[in-house]
Parts: sequence; structure tokens; C-alpha cells
Amino acid sequence: MVEIAATAIDAATLSTREVNALMRARLESGSTEICVENPNARHNLAVALLRPGRVRFLGSVGYYCGGLMDGAEIHVEGSAGWGLAESMSQGHVVVHGGAGNGAAAAIRGGTVVIHGDAAARLGVSMKGGLVLVAGDCGYMAGFMGQKGTLVVCGNTGQAFADSMYATTCYVGGSIGALGTDAVIEPLSAEEAATLDGLLAEHLPAELRAQKPAGRDFKKVVAGRKLWNFDKHNWKAWQDAL
Amino acid sequence: MDTRSILAGLRRMCGILGYFRKTPGSDDQLGATMLSMLEALGRRGPDSAGVALVGPVHRASYIVRIQAGDELDLSQQAIAENREAIETFARGLDNSSNVSSSGVYVRFLLAGDIDLPALTSRIESLGEGIRVLSVGHAMELSKEVGSPRLLEGKHHISAFAGTHGIGHTRLCTESIVDLSHSQPFWGRGAADVAIVHNGHITNYHQLRRKYEQRGVGFVTENDSEVLAVYLAEALNRGATLRQGLDGVLRDMDGAFSCLAVTATEMGFVKDPYAFKPLVVAETDDFVAVATEEIAIRSAIPGDYKVSEAQVEEVRVWSR
Repeated sequence: MVEIAATAIDAATLSTREVNALMRARLESGSTEICVENPNARHNLAVALLRPGRVRFLGSVGYYCGGLMDGAEIHVEGSAGWGLAESMSQGHVVVHGGAGNGAAAAIRGGTVVIHGDAAARLGVSMKGGLVLVAGDCGYMAGFMGQKGTLVVCGNTGQAFADSMYATTCYVGGSIGALGTDAVIEPLSAEEAATLDGLLAEHLPAELRAQKPAGRDFKKVVAGRKLWNFDKHNWKAWQDAL
Repeated sequence: MDTRSILAGLRRMCGILGYFRKTPGSDDQLGATMLSMLEALGRRGPDSAGVALVGPVHRASYIVRIQAGDELDLSQQAIAENREAIETFARGLDNSSNVSSSGVYVRFLLAGDIDLPALTSRIESLGEGIRVLSVGHAMELSKEVGSPRLLEGKHHISAFAGTHGIGHTRLCTESIVDLSHSQPFWGRGAADVAIVHNGHITNYHQLRRKYEQRGVGFVTENDSEVLAVYLAEALNRGATLRQGLDGVLRDMDGAFSCLAVTATEMGFVKDPYAFKPLVVAETDDFVAVATEEIAIRSAIPGDYKVSEAQVEEVRVWSR
């Protein structure tokens, strides 16, 4: 857990708009560390933070936390609802619990780390960045991923890495079922070492110790059969989800 | 409408919730907990609010709850006449007791064995707009057009002591806004069975046609009603709640998160595509399920974990 000596905001007595405005004003006035008490799983917290600074939520957050963010760092000491860090440009988001559907959807960069499980549609359409889930992920993770890296230490749901472009996925547990055009590729020693480094960097030691070694991950990429339309193989598109 | 707007719409329609006490005995705070959860989900469904609450089991008698009419469809005088007809009917039944009225609702107890479909049919033939809302040894269903606060004002659900219950706040995306189309839906013909649903059953018309060809009646145009009809039939056939919910997964198409209760159980089923949210918190003392975590956090203090249900997940808790 990151220790932050922070400026406190008590969300219990403020509207979401007021919490976000206060957060933004404090970052703009030079505060670099903010602590939000009583977030109470409220939606739309810390959306569109465009300045560097660390925000720690002492509890769960609702939908879209950290969405459209560019450069800030968010720690959620609880779980997160749907659309965590959706469309983030840059930044760093850590959730100590689990995350709802669509976590890290369409991110363009930055890092999203989830210590618990992620629900359906994790990292769909991601265009860059790193998504790291210490637990399991749900249905259709990685769907139409265009760039970036998606790491799941546990098991995946069905339709994993479906219809991807060039996101690279790594899975430490079992794959529920590969999606359309997803293929397992051999993992190189360099990639295994990189994975070990990522896990050591982003997970607390006690959590890291419970996860597979980098060499035990499976690498999943696009088979590239859907990249260019081939009229002689139109059934591949017909079968795609 | 662009894709983002459509997705935003999918995420915001209706709120469902459930609470199940795992420890022995009745919970004096059940109604208050359910009301807090409902209020937190009120903005997801401003059209109507309702609960199906399960209290102590009256093994010797049934609790019958009846809607004397809908204030949006009938005049006050017509509703009063219906209410009087129901009260007269109830008092004339052998083994009936505790006949009471509140607003458009009439409630009474009925001891002994009953032919549920026949009783329902007799009551609903007493006047236009009369609907049996629920029958059970332990379950009582209350719903109103409007906010959870309005529901509390009319039914005082916060004072209800019991073991478990489900609730719903509705944002109407099909059919009409009135009392009958509000949720929960009783599983007509099955005692102590009710459902709440967030989503769309896309093969509703097909299923409804099949039921109607077999003589099964529907009382609304709300697609969620087919879930109640389906579960009631399954449970009456001898299926367990889990088997019934597994059947929903097999036979229903579309986007759904559905919660159901019986006198002793609460369970949920989630669709194969995870279109609809549903989060679960479980400790040694309780299970709380809701469309959004804010409903659970607002109502239940303490340190516990909340996680999203997975696709095709079916879970049932029993007492």
C-alpha cells in the first residue's frame, strides 16, 4: 500500500461535482497528494484529471473512476465499478479490490493494476498502456485490443482476446476459451523476464508471491486472420462475434 | 444515437437489489436496510419502486395481498368500490382473518389449503383492475409508482422485520408506467415466489405465445413478467430455485440480471453477455446483491468485499 501524506477531502458532505472540482483545484494549486474519505462507491469520481498528482480513495468507487484521465495517479482502497479508467490517456490506477465491467476499456496509455478480479470486457479496445490483473478476469477481455499489454495472473472467462489487432496478452492461469482469431504463441525468455519485472513492480510482495512465475504465463496474440478481408474466406468474418 | 449513448443507456436502466440474512432468526432492520438500498438506486429507476419482503413463516395461513385498482386507470370511487368488494369477499371466506386496507391495497390472512389459481381468478373477477399482488406463507409484496420514499410513505416498509427480500426501482423502457407494470412480480400461482429483473428478455413474445397457447395468463405487457411466470411454473413442477434459474439461462434470450426469492431462498441469474450489472457482497452474517455497489455501501456499514457477478452465474442462498 502506498503511504500518502495527503490533503483530505470528505466526500460524505459534498456532491460528486464538488468533490471533483475540489480535487482539480487542489491539483492546480500545487497539491500533489489528495486523500478522499467516504467515496461510498459513488460514480464519476476523479474523471478527467489532467494534472499530475496522487489521489487515494479510502473506500470503493463507482462507475468511470479515473475516466478520461491524463497523467494523475489513483489508488482505490476498495473496489471499482464499471468503466474504471475508461479512455485514460496517461496515468496510473491501482485498485486494491476487484473491478466491474469494462475496466481499462479504450485506454491509450498508462497503467491499470487490479489486485482482485476484473469482471467482463476488461481492456476492450485498448490502444496502449498496461493492464495487470492479479486475480481472474471475466468474459471477453481484450476484445478488439489495438495495442498495449494485458496481463491476467489468474484465469480468464470465455472469448478471451477476441478479434484483436495488436494487443499482447499474458495469462497465468487457465483460459476459459479463446475468442475468434486469438492464438497462443510461444513465450520467449525475454518476455518471461519482462513479466517477472512487471509483477514485481506493480504488485505488493505478498500478492506477487502467490502468482505464477513469468515463464509459466501463456502468451495470446491475434492470429491476424481478420485483419484484412478475404472474400475467399468470408466465413471467418461471419463466425466472428 | 451513438454507441456510447446506447451503452450508457444499457448501464442505467432499472435497479435491482436483494438482502439475505444468513444468521438464525428474524432481522428487525430488514425493511430499513432494503429501503436504504432502494433509495441509493432510486435515480436508476424513478418511475416506480417495490419490494418483496419475506418475514416469519405463517405455516397455517397464507398472506394475500391485492391491488384494488390503479389510480392512473380508475377513479377513486371505482377503486373504493373494488376495495369494498374485495373486503366483503375476504370476510366471506372460511378461515379468513385480519382483513385490512391501505390505499389501493387489501390484505388478509387465509388459513388452510387453497387452490391458488382458482382463488386468484375469483378475486380478480370481483371488479375491473383488481389484481392479486402476492400470496404466500411468508412473502409480502408492495410496490408504487414513484420513488422509494413514496413507497415508504404508503407502506412503511422500513418497519418490516424478516429474513430476506428483493427490491426494484424502475426506469420504463417498454410497456407503460403503472402499478401493475412495476416490479417485483409475483410468480402467479406459486406461493412465496417473486422476481425482480433488470434488462430485456428478447424472446419474450415467443415465450408468451407458448404460455398463452397452454392457457397461462399474463396481466401486463412487461417482458419481466415472463420470468415470474417461468419460475412459478418450474417451482410448481417441483424444481428447486437453482434449477429454475438454470432454466432461465437456458430458455431466455437477451440481457438480464434477475433476482428471485422463495420463502426460504434468494438467488440470482446473470445473462451470458454481462450486459447488466450486478454486484454481490457476502459475509458470515448476510448476502447483499445490487445493481450498483453504492446501494450496498449506503445501507450496510462495515468492512466487506464487493465483487461483480460473472456471466452465466447462478447463485442461491438457503435458510
